[in-house]
Amino acid sequence: MFNTRRLVFLSVLIAMGTVLHVVEGMVPVPLPIPGVKLGLANMVTLIALHSYGARDGVTVAVARVLLGSLIGGVFLSPGFLLSLTGAVSSTLIMALLLKYSDCFSVIGISMAGAVGHNMGQLLAAFLLLQNKSIFFYLPVLLMAGIPTGLFTGYILKSLLERVERLGILRIYEDDAASRNLGPMGLMKEKNLL
Amino acid sequence: MTRADRYLAAGILLIAILSVALFYYRSSLSSGKAASVGAVISAQGKIVRKIDLSPGGGKTTFLVSGRLGPATVEVEGKRVRMVDAPCPERICIKQGWIENPGESIVCVPGETVIHVEGAAPVDAVTR
Repeated sequence: MFNTRRLVFLSVLIAMGTVLHVVEGMVPVPLPIPGVKLGLANMVTLIALHSYGARDGVTVAVARVLLGSLIGGVFLSPGFLLSLTGAVSSTLIMALLLKYSDCFSVIGISMAGAVGHNMGQLLAAFLLLQNKSIFFYLPVLLMAGIPTGLFTGYILKSLLERVERLGILRIYEDDAASRNLGPMGLMKEKNLL
Repeated sequence: MTRADRYLAAGILLIAILSVALFYYRSSLSSGKAASVGAVISAQGKIVRKIDLSPGGGKTTFLVSGRLGPATVEVEGKRVRMVDAPCPERICIKQGWIENPGESIVCVPGETVIHVEGAAPVDAVTR
């Protein structure tokens, strides 16, 4: 389906995701653990997933990693590969949860995405380093995913509530319009908020 | 935040704790059998002697014939050093004792090498 609104919406999301990706890389995390970050750019992916489904979610995630790494100057470096696999795996996990489960809220999905991101990264790091001892990092990364996922989930939830009042974000555009529900109505119906 | 979200968080936490427990259990199993450490002494490209480096061992000295003549190697407990060598710079002697796996004393003129075997402890891996 080609649709100008969708094109513009995805472009804006990619731009926002790129900015978040780059800015987040500049903010130091006050923890002595390498690789743990907030995952702010994940929010943008989740919005794309919500609005247009898995394919566009992956598009936004991959495009923002590509652009972000070009701006940051780490394109094709090991860090870039880790970001890419992390972004793709988290997007896939969130897409699966959005599609096949209706008991999680945005917060839960965001949390699953954060943990999925870390797991994907860990796997990529293992393939890159060929060293099994990297899996000792598993519990650290699992636990790190919970607070960071909660944090971005809460931000996303309040963001969606505010954006809805402005009436610019069309979540589940076609479905919601055809059934005369507002996007928020549909999200509430799906138990996401 | 729904009930399912809480279950998800609890599940992730549980997996994390279980994996910590598993790693701890496995590392406690493997640390029981300490790796045996030994040193290999080679001269002019050939292994001439293998020695055991165990903490309780006494002091022994022996000669290794290098390219310039005999060099004296001393073993005391788990450490080993070059005591005397016919080389001009005496770098191998000045290096003193070595004991950690991966360390070695190399006498270039005498073509003698003492190398402590075993898995070297790793500080960092970078690519």
